[in-house]
Amino acid sequence: MTYYLTRAQEALGQRAHAFADEFLEPIAAELDRGLVFPKALIGPLAAQDFLGLAAPAQSSVEGAGFIGHIEVIQALSRSSAGVASIVNNHALAVYAIAYWGSEAQKKQYLPALIKGEKLGAVAIAETGPTLGIGPDALLATRQGSGLVLNGSKTFVRNAGAADVYLVFGIIRPEPDNTRLTCFIVEAGTSGLSVWPRLVTMGLKACPVAHLSFKNVAVTEAGVMGSENNASGIASQILSVSAVASGAQTVGIARAAAEHAAAYAKHRVQFRHPIARLQAIQTLLAEMVSDSHLAWLGVQHAARLIQDSAPFEPEAAMVKLFLGRFGSKMLVDAIQIEGGMGICEVVPKHIAGSLPLARMFRDIAGTTLLDAPDDFPDKIIAAGIA
Amino acid sequence: MNSEQAAIKQAAREFVAKNIIPHAAEYDKSGEFHRYLLEAAKPSRIFAMAVPKEYGGLGYSPLTQALVLEEWGYGCCGMATTLGASILSMESVLIAGNDDQKRRYCKPMLNAGIGAFALTEPAAGSDAGAGEATAVKSGNDYILNGPKCWITNGGEAAVLVVFAATDVAKGAKGLSAFIVEPTMPGFILGDREEKLGLRSSNTVFFLMKDLRVPAANLIGKEGDGMRIAMETLDVARPTIGALAVGLAQRCLDECVKHLRQRYPAKTYPGESLQFELADMQIQIEGARQAQHHTMRLREAKQPFSIESAIAKTLGTAVAMNVTTQAMRLMGSHAYTSEFGKFMRDAKVMQIYEGTNQIQRLVIARSVLAPPKVAAPAMKVGAK
Repeated sequence: MTYYLTRAQEALGQRAHAFADEFLEPIAAELDRGLVFPKALIGPLAAQDFLGLAAPAQSSVEGAGFIGHIEVIQALSRSSAGVASIVNNHALAVYAIAYWGSEAQKKQYLPALIKGEKLGAVAIAETGPTLGIGPDALLATRQGSGLVLNGSKTFVRNAGAADVYLVFGIIRPEPDNTRLTCFIVEAGTSGLSVWPRLVTMGLKACPVAHLSFKNVAVTEAGVMGSENNASGIASQILSVSAVASGAQTVGIARAAAEHAAAYAKHRVQFRHPIARLQAIQTLLAEMVSDSHLAWLGVQHAARLIQDSAPFEPEAAMVKLFLGRFGSKMLVDAIQIEGGMGICEVVPKHIAGSLPLARMFRDIAGTTLLDAPDDFPDKIIAAGIA
Repeated sequence: MNSEQAAIKQAAREFVAKNIIPHAAEYDKSGEFHRYLLEAAKPSRIFAMAVPKEYGGLGYSPLTQALVLEEWGYGCCGMATTLGASILSMESVLIAGNDDQKRRYCKPMLNAGIGAFALTEPAAGSDAGAGEATAVKSGNDYILNGPKCWITNGGEAAVLVVFAATDVAKGAKGLSAFIVEPTMPGFILGDREEKLGLRSSNTVFFLMKDLRVPAANLIGKEGDGMRIAMETLDVARPTIGALAVGLAQRCLDECVKHLRQRYPAKTYPGESLQFELADMQIQIEGARQAQHHTMRLREAKQPFSIESAIAKTLGTAVAMNVTTQAMRLMGSHAYTSEFGKFMRDAKVMQIYEGTNQIQRLVIARSVLAPPKVAAPAMKVGAK
């Protein structure tokens, strides 16, 4: 046990590490082709208690909390950041329902989500400049006692694979409403369709697609929180996502640094292993320092989330820091391995695995996305009083 | 830029818009070699732009070549690398070859054929003198044996410049350069590598097994190999800078185009975004000038080795920064589009033609060299 982790959290991290080695490492390259959703992994992930950690009160793991969740995400990301993305986006839905859902909604969805019988997803982004603006914005109109959704959501992760979507849209009985409402929509609901998955640069195990809504009926029981009151929920979900993505980034970077260090010890140029060269040592040291400092920031923000304390500025700092330095860690790791670093397929005359090209594409996804023009700087600046 | 250069640049821009940009994503996806491009480039004879006029080429000056290469980099650095690497290989012959060799080597380029430069080996990357390929004199021939890897154009070239040791005991000083044709018996081509970026640029491993090369194909003298390789790379490095500048400019242009489409109402974004875009342009323009300066030094026959290393390092670092920053500004739109290619291409360019670490060694050597004229001692406390 360390001073900063409970026994349960430490055990979770170790279990996730072992799980990643056994189940993810062998299939990570195949999943990176982005052709199939790894449905067969959901059961085993749930059996390890990895799917419910964002709902501490309902999770079967005592004393794990959100810190336990990021331990798991970090460890899974070492082998497959794409699979960690699936877990992450599922966990955002779990977190939101646990935090803002009604007792009935918690009872209806959380046990199934935690057991992996259902997979969750969150749908916030739209193609317009801001939510509610643009020809295909998701708008809700009243019909009887319920609501009807029309429009679309974009860049939805776990799209097509998820059973439960948290969909953010605007009720438009009055024309100038800009406040969001969160709707729980189940897959298979009439009028909901999932577009073909988009081709992403990395994180390919996790499908990303547009969702299209055509007269999708939602009852009052399907509104999470209260009407016109979900703007804060959306922004907090994005902040939680920034922290969890930070854990993914650290996992990728640590694994990459270890791979590059092993390579440097083995690769002989100028009569010695290149690990002896100061220039290489500096690159490795920077990588390890950056990922370590990022991890402290991620853990701190995760602790605030776990304690239900205000955490958005701290989450934004993680986002800002990793937006600047996150992908650099893979830029440098690949530089150390040179030609081997850029291999997408291991050449015939080489033994061993060459995961850095995949990690480079993955880390771009965990560090550079979900940042509209002035987020996260604005949130941090707003907190300086 | 004079009017002739402006016209050449414009023609290159039009060629790129018509023949490169529409196909770049497709070839990036498949990783197949873009052979169609050689055919499309035939009428313009652009693959002969660096061939001197006396050998039937276009004889473009280094700066003019850089202008064309920037346009090609703007379209697709994978495709531009094919052109750049072909020129690189030819420079070895132009630097040290005899008249007959120059004429022979340049001939395929006149009809959109390409060349390849084969220096790197599994055991000899940054440490270029540590290779195991050998060339043993046998009558009027040399017998070549050994492996070569990461060879750009290696599986598609009509002619190659291959480096091998004629005197193993002398290490780097025992290296010699040969003109090799892939049709020669003993040239065994391996698989093409599946790379992170520059995917449609052909990169291969090949093996030489008792490959017999006429002594007339030895470039310069025995033992000249390392000098030829280094001089060739000096000439070639700023062209990588040119490709990288083209790539970075493309990224910025696409990023601005996207932001305008996404935020049509905002004529002017907030200062944070304005400054980020400005910083991208500052970097690009700085890298462009560093690279043009190198070309002008070369044209003026002044030393340009250090400036060449700077142009390559700065250009590719800028390309990496700008592509990363542009993706951050565009987010998921970039991540789910062809945009990822720009980032992937930029990464590879920091490695090939001498890693940026090797460039820094070269640059540092000059920074630390004793000054030619002693600087006047600083006067302490002077008014």
